[in-house]
Amino acid sequence: MEKLTISRGKNALLLKYDGEVTLDVTPQLKRVLEAELTENEVDTVVLDLSGVGFMDSSGIGFLVFVNTRMRSAGKACYLCRLSPKVRKTLGLVQLLSYFQVIENEGDVAALLS
Amino acid sequence: MIRRTFAAQSAPEQSRGLAREVVGFLGQYLSDHNILHDLDIMLTEACANVARHAYRGGEGRLEVRLALVPGECVDLEIVDWGYGFDGPVRFENPSPEAEGGRGLFIISRLSDAVAVRSEGQENIVAIHKKIGKTAWKS
Repeated sequence: MEKLTISRGKNALLLKYDGEVTLDVTPQLKRVLEAELTENEVDTVVLDLSGVGFMDSSGIGFLVFVNTRMRSAGKACYLCRLSPKVRKTLGLVQLLSYFQVIENEGDVAALLS
Repeated sequence: MIRRTFAAQSAPEQSRGLAREVVGFLGQYLSDHNILHDLDIMLTEACANVARHAYRGGEGRLEVRLALVPGECVDLEIVDWGYGFDGPVRFENPSPEAEGGRGLFIISRLSDAVAVRSEGQENIVAIHKKIGKTAWKS
């Protein structure tokens, strides 16, 4: 996926997708993430949402999927750098407090160091 | 009143493209980007529901019927000719752990009225949104 950037830290994975997160792309995003989690030892997934200008309920479902996938295995999932549109959409469905959102850039860097 | 009908096949990519086409048309009349974004989300949710459910794994016709009154409101009807709605339609926000089922809730939050009905072979999601005068291009 050319709009997807994957960065790795020590047992942490940062996924950044630039573009719309809708039904068009969520099945593929799930497959890529599953492959990463299967092939590598990952304790923490960080989803960078700064480049997401539009997200529908399928995109929300993807975030829930990643969160559940990690936390049910005793691992961590964080959202960071929420774009204003993503923040608004997650607020609309009352999920901003459900996810662990990192607001501090230093904390993102620490997870990936 | 201005009326326009847009149509596509119900595949995910085309259904999203249809929503964007309608929003592009609305952009000729509306200047408020937040309201255009709200309309985009509502259309995308309704069209994605058709892509996901209406033809039970297959594809079929998807239509958006737009009616707008500049300075007042926008009405959208998202129409398919598929299998129709199974059981009662739910507009509630599902539990946080649910991966799906938020589409109609989102539409209900962003619109002034939403109704789901069947007429003959047509299954229709009807959305009404009032839009204040300042949001329109002069």
